[in-house]
Amino acid sequence: MMDDLPRYSNKMRGVFSRDNLPKVVLAVSSLPIFIAAWWLLALYLQGQGYFYLPTPLEVWDALVLAWTWDPVTHQSLLSNIGASLGRFVVGFALAVGLAVPIGLIIGYSSLVEAFSKPILEILRPVPPIAWVPFLLLSLGLYWGPVITIFIGVFFPVLSNMIFGVKSVDPLLIDVARTQGASNKQVFTKVVLPSSIPYIMTGLKIGVGIGWMCIVAAELFAAQGGGIGVLITAGQSIGRYDIMFAGMVVVGLLGIVTLALSEFLERRVKIWTGMM
Amino acid sequence: MDRNDVILSIKGLGKSFPKDNGQIVAIENFDLEVENGEFVCILGPSGCGKTTLLRIVAGLEQLTSGSIKIGQKEITGPGSDRGMVFQEFGLFPWRNVKKNIEFGLEIKGVPAEKRAETSQRYVDLVGLKDFEMSHPKQLSGGMKQRVGIARALANDPAVLLMDEPFGALDAQTRNQMQMELLRIWKETKKTVLFVTHSVDEAVFLADRIVVMTARPGSIKDLWDIDLPRTRDRASSKFIALRRDILDELEVQKTGT
Ligand SMILES: Nc1ncnc2c1ncn2[C@@H]1O[C@H](COP(=O)(O)OP(=O)(O)O)[C@@H](O)[C@H]1O
Ligand SMILES: [Mg+2]
Repeated sequence: MMDDLPRYSNKMRGVFSRDNLPKVVLAVSSLPIFIAAWWLLALYLQGQGYFYLPTPLEVWDALVLAWTWDPVTHQSLLSNIGASLGRFVVGFALAVGLAVPIGLIIGYSSLVEAFSKPILEILRPVPPIAWVPFLLLSLGLYWGPVITIFIGVFFPVLSNMIFGVKSVDPLLIDVARTQGASNKQVFTKVVLPSSIPYIMTGLKIGVGIGWMCIVAAELFAAQGGGIGVLITAGQSIGRYDIMFAGMVVVGLLGIVTLALSEFLERRVKIWTGMM
Repeated sequence: MDRNDVILSIKGLGKSFPKDNGQIVAIENFDLEVENGEFVCILGPSGCGKTTLLRIVAGLEQLTSGSIKIGQKEITGPGSDRGMVFQEFGLFPWRNVKKNIEFGLEIKGVPAEKRAETSQRYVDLVGLKDFEMSHPKQLSGGMKQRVGIARALANDPAVLLMDEPFGALDAQTRNQMQMELLRIWKETKKTVLFVTHSVDEAVFLADRIVVMTARPGSIKDLWDIDLPRTRDRASSKFIALRRDILDELEVQKTGT
């Protein structure tokens, strides 16, 4: 029956094809070159009497040491990571839990949007980190950093949510209505599923910002350790190797969480037919 | 017009849209009665109000004057007694073929086994067996519109409204879909109101062709097409009819 054949996407070209070879070589060699340059710079500076920059090996040793117990925060690296992640998860969940429903309402109702837009536009440009001193003073050492993350994550998720609701294809709404859907059914069966990919994009952006916020807030102060605490404490007692170990851990965790959220975003987009 | 068993009756329909500080009259004084099981094509130049007419019948747009009845019941908004097929398909990308077809049944609260039974029947009817679990992205244009037709029929509407449903397809697929539609129409005995700007398509499909005037759209002429189906596009009668209707449309374009 079908002369008109389905279209299949044809993106299955190998990473290691011949024209990619120079790029692969470049990509593989860049990290060793970076580490070597770091090493040489550190040795040079230390020869001049500056000890702020440890060598990669010293940082590695500090990582091994901090893994079980470090002399700065007096706990293991995992419990520092746990403290940061704990704050991250609470602040992130609060932000998403509020931004998604609020975004749905603002995106759906132009009246609510007209009212809330001026407030949001005043609050949005304030960098989350500018809130830290106030939040630490008013909310203390636990909730201060948590609410910093909240602020950092809330706005990108909200904007994406509003955008998602507004980007719903009006044709699909017409289809639903000709199929007898009520306003509520149009919302749950068309608007909501159409917005899911946009929620995911918001989450992905939120993860990156949230991670920056947590470390920044911890640099000021935090209760019960954290990676940011490790970095500032290392600095204050002159253990620059531990300070750098903290920076490396932050970077690695950032990569892992970002990769995770990108993977999730992709899955959801494929699942909802957006990719 | 005196017809028995009228399923759709449009009386004195008028529609204007607000524009700048005045109004733009899209449809004026449109009267039409469609019999149960009839295949009616609405033919007219682009911009004459065909889509607007169909959207009003579907309940997606409010009329400015006149009235529309399905059977004895005056329509006031969208309802599952009218099924609509759109030119751009309008499939839900996050639903597979089966779930797209079951949409209206879900809305009505039909239980899952009953839905599956019904959707399977329409999957078979439109020839999409083995594609139940495919997503719209994986389908060709022709297959997408098969889903669109099945989805509209699954609600068992009294009238099937089709707005240039094959307009986005290539010529070969379009001809094939016209044959398929006639087969489906014979099997389901549905009443069809089919909008097109192709004279060829209208003469191939319709029991009756409604030729519309340029904006504001109203009925210019009615043609009963009594050629036996399946119609042969190369037959002299087909060619003559097509030419006569085309002439009528051309006259109107040059403003006579
Ligand atoms: N929502 C609307 N607002 C204002 N004008 C409209 C709207 N919809 C259609 N029109 C106008 O009504 C006329 C008929 O449009 P349409 O029904 O789409 O024509 P067709 O389907 O025959 O090409 C056009 O001039 C169009 O610009
Ligand atoms: Mg149109």
